[in-house]
Amino acid sequence: MTTADVIEVAAEALEGPGGLVVAGVSKVFSGRRGEVAALADVDLHVEHGELVCLLGASGCGKSTLLSIIGGLDHPTSGRVTVGGDEVIGPGADRGMVFQAYSLFPWLTVRRNIEFGLELAGVDHAARTARVDELLGTMMLTEFAEALPRELSGGMRQRVAIARALAPEPDILLLDEPFGALDAQTRRHLQDFLLALWRRTGATILMVTHDVEEAIYLASRVYVLAPRPGRVLEEIDIPFGRDRGPTVKRDPRFIDLREALADALG
Amino acid sequence: MTLTGSGVASGTRGRRQPQLLRVFGPIDLRMRVALGVAGVASVFALWLVGAAAFAGGSLIPTPGATWTAFWDQWHTTLRGDLAASSYRILVGYTISVAIGIVLGMAMGAMRSVEAFFEPPMGFLRYIPATALVPVFLLLLGIDETPKIWLIVVGTVFFNILMMADAARAVPRELVNAAYTLGAGQWTVLRRVVFRHSVPGIVDAARVNLAAAWLMLVVAELLAANNGLGFGVERAHRFHAFPAMFALLMVFGIIGLVSDLLLRALRGRLAPWAEG
Repeated sequence: MTTADVIEVAAEALEGPGGLVVAGVSKVFSGRRGEVAALADVDLHVEHGELVCLLGASGCGKSTLLSIIGGLDHPTSGRVTVGGDEVIGPGADRGMVFQAYSLFPWLTVRRNIEFGLELAGVDHAARTARVDELLGTMMLTEFAEALPRELSGGMRQRVAIARALAPEPDILLLDEPFGALDAQTRRHLQDFLLALWRRTGATILMVTHDVEEAIYLASRVYVLAPRPGRVLEEIDIPFGRDRGPTVKRDPRFIDLREALADALG
Repeated sequence: MTLTGSGVASGTRGRRQPQLLRVFGPIDLRMRVALGVAGVASVFALWLVGAAAFAGGSLIPTPGATWTAFWDQWHTTLRGDLAASSYRILVGYTISVAIGIVLGMAMGAMRSVEAFFEPPMGFLRYIPATALVPVFLLLLGIDETPKIWLIVVGTVFFNILMMADAARAVPRELVNAAYTLGAGQWTVLRRVVFRHSVPGIVDAARVNLAAAWLMLVVAELLAANNGLGFGVERAHRFHAFPAMFALLMVFGIIGLVSDLLLRALRGRLAPWAEG
């Protein structure tokens, strides 16, 4: 083993499983009216067990960035690694949750959650056990045999999260998962996500345009600026995993909200 | 302000909405049935007037004469004709739908396949399939083969294009969700694109079935010795107008029944897409 190899291995160990690194990622869309730079030289990282938010106004390329990390889109330059491996396409190791309408409408809740496990070749008994466990975590047990259209918006997003979690991804990518929900359900699901994060220690990267949501959930926030999308600021959130709704009255929370709202413009 | 809440109206506001002719307005079931019955009755009335007006029932037969002719044929040629035509439709249209599903899904879901097939299909589909009847009869003879292939060419382009539309309409979120759950291209095609397109595929098959009958009748009118189209031609030869009308009724009923069956099939295959 050469010195360089040793350093590489050490770096990977430090990153831990699921550690995400986005290095110098740019994305240019070529359209009829010329080229549009959607992302310019974005650097960011998410450590194992962190919950990080990408905060930005519409048009800042935050969803494009998440698609690139998910492997659904390719960067024009730069690269994305997870656990030291370069991302070259989509895979169940990076579970993704979309804003809405991503459940298979012809499958029951159980079969939706099972989908990734089936593709991974997990046998029936293990599948059932895993899905039962997730149904319990997500408080969906009694809706196991329901079709998506029979569920409320908040329940559908819980199913989508459970489905992404089922194949035990290294990182969970959430693309404005609560954006289409009413305010009350959104607050409810934010607490739900915090509880899930506390309990499972999952590594989560979440895109949002909601300042308060980002501060409330994240351990770190990347603020993105639009046209071209780039990292404007990286902000540590001083609240621990055990935070609850009372944190929203904390003076530091209020200061951060002001500061981030100003940064967004 | 003193009158607020007294419930006394001093005038009206807004435009009163008509009950029956309101755009997208609801009507109750009784009205629906009544209008349907009235619709059928007016066609029947038109028929009676026509029968009386045109040569006293010899050119346009009365409903009674048609009914008698129907039963005469039922006991002689009709069942054989029905079986022969149904067989051709079943074989030809099954081939057409199968090609439509395979090419439609591929074209709708993959730009490369679409880029390859779109230009030749844009040309081919404007050649009226009925104009191909003589060509097919010369090339393929006058047995079952040309009739079956005429049904295929007469419908397959409609099926492909409509089924490709169904595949194109698959929400990208579903495709992306499948990819991020570990699905490859084949799995996405089979378990997301095809699955989501099932109701659209059945709808396309239902709509284009009418074109299959059109092609069949043209083929049977020109070259056949059995089948419903041949029955019409035979009645024409013998100036048997009641028999001809009876066959027209048979076409209508077959269409109605197959439409209902395919609607039921859609409900059975894709209950999640109902209502």
